[in-house]
Amino acid sequence: MAVDMKMPILIVDDYKTMLRIVRNLLTKLGFSDIDEATDGTSALEKLHARRYGLVISDWNMQPMTGYELLQKVRADDALKAMPFVMVTAESKVENVIAARQAGVNNYIIKPFSAEVLKAKLKTVLGDF
Amino acid sequence: MTGTGRLEIVERLTNECIDLCRTVLRSRKYLDPLLEPAFREARVKRAVDEQKTAIAEMESAVSRILTAAEDIAELDLAAADAAERIAASYDKIVEACCFQDITGQRLSGVVETLGRVGEALDSVAEGRPLAEIAEEKESLLNGPALPGRGLEQDLVDRLLADGNG
Repeated sequence: MAVDMKMPILIVDDYKTMLRIVRNLLTKLGFSDIDEATDGTSALEKLHARRYGLVISDWNMQPMTGYELLQKVRADDALKAMPFVMVTAESKVENVIAARQAGVNNYIIKPFSAEVLKAKLKTVLGDF
Repeated sequence: MTGTGRLEIVERLTNECIDLCRTVLRSRKYLDPLLEPAFREARVKRAVDEQKTAIAEMESAVSRILTAAEDIAELDLAAADAAERIAASYDKIVEACCFQDITGQRLSGVVETLGRVGEALDSVAEGRPLAEIAEEKESLLNGPALPGRGLEQDLVDRLLADGNG
């Protein structure tokens, strides 16, 4: 099934520059409905208020980290099927294993290229 | 000067020396948390490495942005592939801007360490002990790895695939 390029995507990062970077790259890939949050807590509020097709989240944020957000999403019946991609500078084996066990769909190490972002989104969403 | 007068001077000098020694020892004690190997080797050394890495990353990012901008400036806009090459340069510029997040995280750690050293100097100046240095808050929050110490994307992909297989 073709990917709906108009599906709402939530990007979560405490660095405004990163939000702009990911938004720019997603827009260039053809996605048009992009929303932003700057920490896990506000992201969770947005996830409960609107039905998103994908979450792209940083890990290292306060007061709620991206990892905690992932755990809460997977524990919530209404949200648990949501595709969740971690985009983070946390690059230790234990981070990747913890995210995998928590149910992350993909894991991108910062800094990343537009090509890597596109390839990982295709893995999660299907070809577009 | 009488013998008693000399003795008084010697006694006063001795007491001043003892006070000075006490002050030095007290100051040394106040600085103990900073002299712990965990702080000196883990935090201070890491802060120095993070600072050096951040400088190198900033230089690399600016160089990549300038190169992409120069590629656009030198482009023959009438060429058939001009739009494609501008789009490629745009990607390079946007990707290079990732450095702000990475270096920001590195420099936050450096600022935290410098803040701790500043607190120690204040404690000596004010004659009060320095609080113990808190343990690392969460083991899964490491921040960006130093060059050569983090996972590359292909290894992350393999770890994810192993879990799904």
